[in-house]
Amino acid sequence: MNSSIGTDTRSNNKIVGGARRPSRFQIGPWLGVLPFFIFSAMFLIGPTLILGYRSLEGTDGALTLDNYRQLTSESVLSAYGMSIRISLTTAILGGLIGFLIAWAVSIGGLPRPFRSLTTTFSGVASNFAGVPLAAAYIFTLGRVGVVTALFKLLGVDLYRSGFSLYSFLGLTLVYLYFQIPLMVLVILPALDGLKREWREAAENLGATPNQYWRDIAFPVLTPSILGTMILLFGNAFGAHATAYALTGGLFNLATLLIGQQISGDVLHNPGLGYAVAMGMVVIMALSILVYSILQRRSERWLR
Amino acid sequence: MTTSVASVQVKTSARKQKLWAWVVFVVGALYFLLPLAATFYWSLRAEKDKLGFEAYRRLFADVNFLPAFSESIVNALAAILLSLLLIVPTAYWVTLRLPKLRPVVEFITLLPFVIPAVVLVFGLIRLYSRPPLLLTATYDSSRVVLICVYAALSFPYVFRSVDNGLRAMDVRALTEAAQSLGANWFTILFRVIFPNLRVALLSGALLTFAIVIGELTIALFMAQHTLGPYMANLTRSKVYEPSAMAIVAFALTWMALGLIQLVGRGQQGQITGGH
Amino acid sequence: MAYLILSNISKQFGDTYAVRDFNLEVQKGEFVSFLGPSGCGKTTTLRMVAGFESPTNGTITLDGVDITDKAPNQRNMGMIFQSYALFPNMTVTQNIAFGLRVRNMSKADVKERVREMVSLVNLEKHVDKYPFQLSGGQQQRVALARALAIRPGVLLLDEPLSALDAKIRVSLRAQIREIQKKLGITAIFVTHDQEEALSISDRIVVMYEGNVEQVGTPFDIYNFPKTHFVATFVGSLNTAAAEVLDPAKGLLRMDGVQFFTAAKMDGLTKGDKVRIAIRPERFSFASEVKKANIVDCVIENITFLGSVVRVHILIGNSKFTMDTFNYPSLELPKIGAREQVTCSKEAVLILGAAEG
Repeated sequence: MNSSIGTDTRSNNKIVGGARRPSRFQIGPWLGVLPFFIFSAMFLIGPTLILGYRSLEGTDGALTLDNYRQLTSESVLSAYGMSIRISLTTAILGGLIGFLIAWAVSIGGLPRPFRSLTTTFSGVASNFAGVPLAAAYIFTLGRVGVVTALFKLLGVDLYRSGFSLYSFLGLTLVYLYFQIPLMVLVILPALDGLKREWREAAENLGATPNQYWRDIAFPVLTPSILGTMILLFGNAFGAHATAYALTGGLFNLATLLIGQQISGDVLHNPGLGYAVAMGMVVIMALSILVYSILQRRSERWLR
Repeated sequence: MTTSVASVQVKTSARKQKLWAWVVFVVGALYFLLPLAATFYWSLRAEKDKLGFEAYRRLFADVNFLPAFSESIVNALAAILLSLLLIVPTAYWVTLRLPKLRPVVEFITLLPFVIPAVVLVFGLIRLYSRPPLLLTATYDSSRVVLICVYAALSFPYVFRSVDNGLRAMDVRALTEAAQSLGANWFTILFRVIFPNLRVALLSGALLTFAIVIGELTIALFMAQHTLGPYMANLTRSKVYEPSAMAIVAFALTWMALGLIQLVGRGQQGQITGGH
Repeated sequence: MAYLILSNISKQFGDTYAVRDFNLEVQKGEFVSFLGPSGCGKTTTLRMVAGFESPTNGTITLDGVDITDKAPNQRNMGMIFQSYALFPNMTVTQNIAFGLRVRNMSKADVKERVREMVSLVNLEKHVDKYPFQLSGGQQQRVALARALAIRPGVLLLDEPLSALDAKIRVSLRAQIREIQKKLGITAIFVTHDQEEALSISDRIVVMYEGNVEQVGTPFDIYNFPKTHFVATFVGSLNTAAAEVLDPAKGLLRMDGVQFFTAAKMDGLTKGDKVRIAIRPERFSFASEVKKANIVDCVIENITFLGSVVRVHILIGNSKFTMDTFNYPSLELPKIGAREQVTCSKEAVLILGAAEG
């Protein structure tokens, strides 16, 4: 049965191919890209698929959605909730501040060298994450940090008044250190895409600068700004190293929860751990998807 | 009368805008420089009552530092090489002969942005820690897996960099010109394509280096003694050395990114992200 | 008093003058072109009228009001850009309505005016499209409608046709001129294309290196160029060095060949060296018409330019071109043949003293 179907399709292919043009199938290019696909299957796709598969396995080994139902349990929800809160906060704040900085060095009229200085520094700072960043903040805003000490000199005890580097607020400050520069890097080209003629045409038609920004510049930039904020959201949501280095892996974040699950089954349910991981992949995939849709839309306008 | 008022308004609003730009820039600069300055200040304070480079001396004197550092450098270089070997032919063939595969390849190279590192290492451990695919049995075999994962993590940067490079030089025309002059594939790839891709390859490689050198998450869960876990441990156990270490790490990142600027002058197309 | 007056306008960037001492009076309803090569100051002048640049010296008055220091958004001038500059986030309707909305016009009035403008530029089918869905020609028509919707005091057009295909360029320029006449609107049109300027304008201002070379009707500019630059920039032109033989009779000699000219030769005496100019189309073969000048020549080459055939001839040692209409029964001489060509004495222009 199977083999006869096989030959059937093959002969079909031959006819179609022959009708088109007598070109031979060339093996060379496929051999050229094959290692890439095998490698990706082994180190990117395979590990994700196995998590997906295991997340559907119940304690008895049968396929079930039980693990996904348990995502609504309190410990998981609170970790997701904190991750989403921090990601949203740093995406919005980082987006706004990054946009302002990008505006200042491009349209704002600062001297040209400040722009290249800013882009180079943003390249560095957006990659300066993980342990060194956490360490830098410990020396700045930790219990004995320089800024904490300065505040003490002014008579304000930050830690007595409720601040902690190892809290939501502290982590937000730390994440902004790589979120803002990423926003600057991605949004600068979009700001450059605003044509001078649009402003002039608007002025010429009687619009004030405020009307120009409200009716043209902001609407044109909105897809880029929103899209980049979503990119920032994913960037913070998947971040593990910085939070781990800062809190020793004990803070209530989705990535840290997965880390704890790897080290020892803290959820007391391996299947649930896989579901938590897959949930992260889904959220990340959604954010990248929305980002690329918005990006395409803004490219259409800014070309 | 009214006319001059209008023009004065325009001029003052331009001046106001510039003032705001300065305010934004200065506040931003403060936010970004303060942690660096504070860390640098701490790194000079290892000796009592005196500023000096004692913390750096101690850092480099630590018996665990240099082995971890050199292991990370070797890992990074191996990952870069592996990544280039995989990506360059793929990007080349996808541009020239298999354009239908382009969306698939682009999608795969974006996967490292979609799969958080901690999830990826979770899957790797589950996939490769038991037969028939026991790849994490020994330290060295785990190290090979780590290098492979680093190569995979670099795909978004290296593919985009190489792809931009190929587009900028019009591979098809160059390949056809070389073919018409009688060159074979080997000659075309190594004598024509690679030299013209130098800048793209180098910036992809440097960006990979900056990301991989201090990577923590994957190395940590694969129990590797590289720079990332070493630094994390140091931060918890020592007082002054971590500050010296953070400054060194910042300088390294700055160097890698600065080199990209240098070699890629006039070229565009860097993206960053993914922690 | 003229409607728009630019008096003694200069614009300096650092030490260099982009525009120097520009004077022009434009009547209401007039269509004036600024013509010149890039960098001649034509666009800078237009931008000073629009208010995007402020003149270093001089004043601009519109309808008796000094607008030199007025902000661009107070001037009520409609500007059209080479790059169309349509707002990409707005439909055709919204683009056209923009200037009316910022003027707080009532919704009903806006709707009515937009409808009127859309039909003026024949875009009824495209009102809900976005700029990226339109062709270049359509986009520029939207830009025209948008600029006209505010009933501007002056319509400013900055190389509006340069980004378009040749065919659309010609049809759109006719459309622009037609609409301008219909509405009786005053227009200033900047271009580097002499054919465009000649075909569309009431008057042309030819500019070169920041200076006005000549102001005149297309007829004047083409037939009576006052300077060497105008003569060579507008239309094609043969020029050659010649020697004055008899100023009273208008007799000249070039490479041993004698020419009569109708040009005034005041102040010139026998033996003076001058530069003469003859447009290619003013030549014809001697067999056709009898004219004042009949000279021997050698046919060097023949090129077809479509409706016109260009014959490259050698008179004495100087190369000239002559244009003749192309029609199927045209009998062309062979290359290398010796022929006689003729031109009227009005065709021989004098462009001042020859160098050297």
